[in-house]
Amino acid sequence: MATLENPSAGPGPGQSAAAAATVRMRGITKNYGETVANSGVDFDLHRGEIHALLGENGAGKTTLMNILFGLVLPESGEIWVGDDQVALPGPQDAFGRGIGMVHQHFMLVQRFTVAENVVLGSVRPWNVKLRRHRIERDVRSAAERFGIALDPRAKIRDLPVDTQQRVEILKLLYRGARILILDEPTSSLGPAQIAGLFATLRELRDAGHSIVIVTHKLGEVMQIADRVTVLRAGKNVLSVAKGGFDERTLARAMTGRELEGLPPKTRIGDTAPLLRLRDLVVHAGTRLHAVHGVSFDVQAGEILGIAGVEGNGQRELVDALAGVLKIESGEVIVEGKDLTAASPRDRHRAGVSVIPEDRHGWGLVLDMTVAENLALADVPAGRFSHRGLLRPRSIREHAKQLLAEYDVRPPDPDLRVLSLSGGNQQKLVLARELSRGPRLLIAANPTQGLDVGAAAYVQRRLIAVREAGNAVLLVSHDLDELFKLADRIIVLYRGKVLYESSIGSVSMDELALAMAGRAPGEGVRADPELVEIAEMEAER
Amino acid sequence: MAAGSEHVVPEVEGMLDRAMRLLTAPAGLRWRGVLRTLLALGATIGVFALLIQLLGASPWAAMKAMVTGSFGNQLNLGNTIMIASLLALTGLAAAIPFAAHLWNVGGEGQMWFGAFVTVGVALTLPSSLPHWLFAPIVVVLAMLGGAAWGLVPGVLKAVINANEVITSLMMTFVAIEFANWAIDGLWPQGASNQTANVPGNSTLPNIWPGTFVTAGAPLAVAAVVVAWVVMARTKLGFEIRAIGLNANAARMNGMRFGKVAIVTFSLAGAFAGLAGAIYVLGIFNALSAGYSTSNFGYLGIAVALVARLNPAWIIPSALMFAFLRVGSNGLQAETALSPTIGEILVATLVVLLLAFRVIRLRYAEAAQ
Repeated sequence: MATLENPSAGPGPGQSAAAAATVRMRGITKNYGETVANSGVDFDLHRGEIHALLGENGAGKTTLMNILFGLVLPESGEIWVGDDQVALPGPQDAFGRGIGMVHQHFMLVQRFTVAENVVLGSVRPWNVKLRRHRIERDVRSAAERFGIALDPRAKIRDLPVDTQQRVEILKLLYRGARILILDEPTSSLGPAQIAGLFATLRELRDAGHSIVIVTHKLGEVMQIADRVTVLRAGKNVLSVAKGGFDERTLARAMTGRELEGLPPKTRIGDTAPLLRLRDLVVHAGTRLHAVHGVSFDVQAGEILGIAGVEGNGQRELVDALAGVLKIESGEVIVEGKDLTAASPRDRHRAGVSVIPEDRHGWGLVLDMTVAENLALADVPAGRFSHRGLLRPRSIREHAKQLLAEYDVRPPDPDLRVLSLSGGNQQKLVLARELSRGPRLLIAANPTQGLDVGAAAYVQRRLIAVREAGNAVLLVSHDLDELFKLADRIIVLYRGKVLYESSIGSVSMDELALAMAGRAPGEGVRADPELVEIAEMEAER
Repeated sequence: MAAGSEHVVPEVEGMLDRAMRLLTAPAGLRWRGVLRTLLALGATIGVFALLIQLLGASPWAAMKAMVTGSFGNQLNLGNTIMIASLLALTGLAAAIPFAAHLWNVGGEGQMWFGAFVTVGVALTLPSSLPHWLFAPIVVVLAMLGGAAWGLVPGVLKAVINANEVITSLMMTFVAIEFANWAIDGLWPQGASNQTANVPGNSTLPNIWPGTFVTAGAPLAVAAVVVAWVVMARTKLGFEIRAIGLNANAARMNGMRFGKVAIVTFSLAGAFAGLAGAIYVLGIFNALSAGYSTSNFGYLGIAVALVARLNPAWIIPSALMFAFLRVGSNGLQAETALSPTIGEILVATLVVLLLAFRVIRLRYAEAAQ
């Protein structure tokens, strides 16, 4: 890739000091009512760097970037782009300055093609002569120029999520953006897809683009950032170039305290399998064999981790085990009891608890109170009522106790769950599911979207369940998390188990290949593109 | 059958479901909701005044006629109260299933079948039964009849997931045929367009001399209290609310959707059946064909939506619609406008209220 704009540019920290800052934000302040989003934040973005903006949820990262993109007006502060002080009252003004943003939730028209989406913002409303072949040619040449592999004719709705993200990035480049802001770009990607994204970003950086990644994942910052700025409670607490930070410093800056480490694992000897799964087959609507003959055991006192790129049957596996998705064939046995056809309530009785991946869609009733949500499973089971009449006082007492035990803030049982932060909402699910004293806990991405502190809390709780001699089935997109917590790991690909190993003897190459669809020792070629990316990743 | 029809039906069902979810979305600040309702009422009166002006009558005289017609004297106030009692009950018949996101639009039919049972039982049992026994028996059987009518869409929903909007509406058409059969075939009264009058021993006693207010009014109030207790203080109400607000989470936590659907629909049918009993035993003493033009069952849907499905707001909401309904009778007498003017008035209010709510929800969505 040619580096026309910035001939001296090369990866690494040395260059950022020499290059002039392309964006300077000074003393940015923004409040939402009582809440301080940004308080006197300084932020510098240099040309040709990947800059990580790190912070916990609610630290003000997204607000700061929305200000730079013209979506939010600051109450005070200055923004300089190049040598000019600018006002950015709207995204159009930001685009005019070469600033573009990819939001966490993509802004693409699902029914349009890639080419149509890319030109969408650049077409004047009075341009009635949109020639299909011309815009496709334009977009194809732009894609080649920026080294982004895309088929301009594909419809967005047919594309996987990482490809949609590439469309978003190309859209900005096509409009002439030199400064790219990506809000939580990896939140819905699997590891191979993340590797692909990072490769694209590195190429763009080497071509002289400046990139901001908004994230709360330390591992990613270590991997890709040339410089990092840490926000905490709306303030800039750390700005440092590569080489000047490690995970520990960043975590401390982010949370303002030393992170408690996870307790060491005590290996529990072989015991009887608590969950036995045999040849499980699950269909999901029109998708036949979403889970395609899966068998495994989970021992008491063990965390079994399930890895895999999103959409390879993890979700259906969890739903089937929770009893909300029909099992076509196979067996689910928990402590010798056959639960294959059992209702969710019978599963609760048999000692199964589930932390669903989508806590808003499946875990909580957002418009009910905290106390009601904590009693959500108890009430239908007959607790907290007498002859059909509820006992609101015992529901509140029960809730108060759990709120204190699980450190939910604010500890107000009468609040609607809607008004709690993501971390505290997850603590509610955790409190409800763990207070049943489960023998088998199924947790699907339990730390997704949580800040570091809340995630560590959830992880400690999972370990405590294991230490008490119960079994945990942990499904996670986050390989780091699986390695931290699991005793054994299996990889799901297209509804099948392609890899299984105890955590001590995992081969990273085989794991990555299995996630891309190649079983170890076999020549199964499933997804050539994914295999390629995984191989790149394995080489690195 | 046309090739595309199986795709059209789910799409229409989906649209309907989305629209109903929007209209019954949980409200944040309730006093602002009341304010908005009053605003819509004001806007309705404005639109209505304009309409009357265009039709060549005096809006001021029309308004005065409406107010006098609905509560200008004891007699009219009594009529408004009785119509409000019916609307409160059919309002509950919609509000309780709606809270579980079960769209019971068959309150009309459930009320009608309740009225059919009322007439049948009252004319069949020996009229020598003592009053204190006769009336309660008829009322209870009418409620069971309404419940049976509600049970059908409930069971179909629970067992084969049949769309309850369609089934409850279909059941309404069947109930109308039952009522026509009662009027024309089973218990006709000469050549008039109604059944024979029910025996005096079966009727609900008058409780306010000088008006037509009967024991039906306190019965409706009692039903509203029962509904409030059910929704706010019972296990069933808890499950109804949880299912309505998030059916997935409710299932995940061990609630049984089918059971709740059946119980909820039966309960709704019982309330509508009670409205049918009050209509016959407490207001008209017979089942008449004119009943079909009153649409009390359908109006109950509007009553429930305005009350935001909350039993505590059902009575004010029912009173407001009863005021418009009874008031428009006075209006017709005073201004010699077509009787359909009353229907237009109610429809205007419903449309404006729902428009206000949709606009607010859209703003709330946009603000997020």
